[in-house]
Formats: sequence, C-alpha cells, structure tokens
Amino acid sequence: MKNTSENNLPVGTTEHFSNMHKWLQRGLFVCLVVLVLEASLSLPGLLIWFGWPTLTITEVCDELMKVRWSDDKAVCLVPHPLYGANEGEGRTNGPAATAQDEWGIQPRPLYKRINFRDLVKFRDDRLAREAAAATATQ
Amino acid sequence: MATTTNVFGAYNAHQDESKQAQWRADKWMIGGTLLMGTGVLGIFGLPLFFYGLWLQMQAAKAGLSVRPLIVTLIGYLVIIDSSLNSLGWAMDLFANHSLINRVLTSGWGAVFDGGYFWHYNELKMGPYTIGGAGAPGEKAWEISLILACFCPRLAAAIGLLQMKRWGQQWLIVTCWMGLIVWIGYNLNMTFYADVRYANITFPVWGWWIYDIFYITPFLALPYLHTVNREIFTD
Repeated sequence: MKNTSENNLPVGTTEHFSNMHKWLQRGLFVCLVVLVLEASLSLPGLLIWFGWPTLTITEVCDELMKVRWSDDKAVCLVPHPLYGANEGEGRTNGPAATAQDEWGIQPRPLYKRINFRDLVKFRDDRLAREAAAATATQ
Repeated sequence: MATTTNVFGAYNAHQDESKQAQWRADKWMIGGTLLMGTGVLGIFGLPLFFYGLWLQMQAAKAGLSVRPLIVTLIGYLVIIDSSLNSLGWAMDLFANHSLINRVLTSGWGAVFDGGYFWHYNELKMGPYTIGGAGAPGEKAWEISLILACFCPRLAAAIGLLQMKRWGQQWLIVTCWMGLIVWIGYNLNMTFYADVRYANITFPVWGWWIYDIFYITPFLALPYLHTVNREIFTD
C-alpha cells in the first residue's frame, strides 16, 4: 500500500517528507515570482516615488544629492568626470561642510526623509527660495 | 535475444526522449533566467521561464523522466537570487558613479536602507576613492559574499540542475553559508542602525518586506537534506 502511494510522489521525495516538500515548493515558487517582479519594478517604482516624469532621471539624481549633503549647490554630474573628486568633497568635512550628521562611534544622519514625490516639492521649494533671494538682492 | 534488444531499445528511446524534453524546457527557462538575472528586464523573462516550466510539467505528465519540479525551482531561484545580489553589489563596487546606480542603488538606499544613501560614494582606501556604500562593514560584506558565497552557489545551482551529486553537495555547503550571511549581515546593520535606518522612508520593516524574498537558502536546505540523494549522479 505504501509503495503504491510513494509511486505518485516526485522522484526523490519519500512519503515521510512529502508534505514538507510540497510547502517548500510553494514557498520557492512565491519567492521566485516576487523576487523577479520586485527586481524588475524597483527602478520604475523608485523613479515614480521620487518624482519622475515631472523630474528627469538626472534631476532625480541631483535632488537626491542635495538631500544627502543638505546642500542646494550639490550637482549630479553626468557623466561624473573620471578620477574627479567625489561628490562629498568639501561637503562632509571642512569649513564649508553642509552634511548634517550627529558624529560619533555610531553616526546618525540628519538628512530629510523622502516621502512620495517629495523631490518635486524640494525642487519647487528651492526654486522659490532662490527666486525670493534674487528679488531681495535686486 | 531479440526481446532483450527491444527492451533496451525502448529504454534508450525513453531516455533520449526524456533528455530532449528536458533540454527543450531548459532552453526556455535559461532564456527567461538570463533576463530575470538582469533585474529590470525580469518581467519579460518570467513568461519565458513559465513556458519552460510548463513544458517540463507536460513532459513529466507524459511519463518522461525529467527533473523533479522542486529541483528546477531551487536551481533557477538560486541562480536568480545570486545574480541579483551580485549585480546590485557589482554596480555599487564598480559602477557607483553611473547615473543608473546613483538613482537606483542610492535611491533604493534613501527609501529602504540608508547604508546606500548616507555619504554615498565617499568611501576611500588610503588615497584611493572606492565609492559606493560607505556604511560600516558593508563593502567587506559585498566583496566577500560575491566571491565566497554567491559565485560558488551559482555554480552549484548549475550542477544541481544537471542532477549532479556535487551540485547537491555544494548547494548544501553554500546554503549553510546563508545562515552566517543573514545573521552576520543583519547584526552589522543592527549595530549601525542609525546609519542604516535614521530618516529614510521605510526603515526596518521596509527592508524586511523587500529582502525577505532572498530567503532562498532556508527553503532549499530542508529539501536538500531530506531528498533521496541517489537521484543525483556522481
């Protein structure tokens, strides 16, 4: 009787472990599908989250850098010059440092959190600030 | 004598047919996996993979000797998992100033894991700029896991798909490495939790929801230890 039922099982699976193998197979299938969809949709999903198509991809990169170093002047150079200075040069250390961190053995970043489409808002706010500053100096 | 020849002839024909059916299915699944391993093109690879999987299931139903479905799933999932990990980390290591990396990797960091956003591209080794993630310990994990875990695991998965004993054995070895990977990597993140999770969009729970599907080794190990290993050839 037992032999008969084992004959219906996949090769290599014994009756004792058949239930476990069945659930592992389901888990593996779910992992494969989700992993692929997730990897595939990450780039478009993140771009939409950040502000594309209102912002171009380069502008998204630009705004991310402005948030990272809390610096309105940070620019995403495309292409980045080969052997050029890294983007944080002068922004992390030194008299003109802009990056916001609580430094210590376990540092704590204090940059702004980026919620849905926030990069568009950050850009608009910055442009408004710059326009106001330009008006004030005239 | 004639009967014996006929019996072996039928056996050989069955073996040949099985081999051809398996290869036909594998061609679709390999094509799909090549696309799925690129990440962004994965959505186009998935239907090809499913078609190959369906061909294999049809061959099994027709009585041909093809791989058990679970072995196929483990093998291809391990390849995809290893490829995606290696691709992301190779971009962070070698292509960290490309536009796509500065949007995808560091953007992902801003949303799920600050280790890939905080002071990104500032890491140095002596006078040399290394760039990429600068979170404490992260670069060491990237290099060691690509070299010592994901590449051997990928090779083992190919051996497993060929139903080789070494494939099964090496997949067991490299999947057990997964235990060290998950415990070590997560503890490193925990000790530097502020760097990783302060002021990012979806801290901690977001990372877990995104990354839990890389749990492959823990789904493969119980099978690899309980399958009748005689089905794998020396």
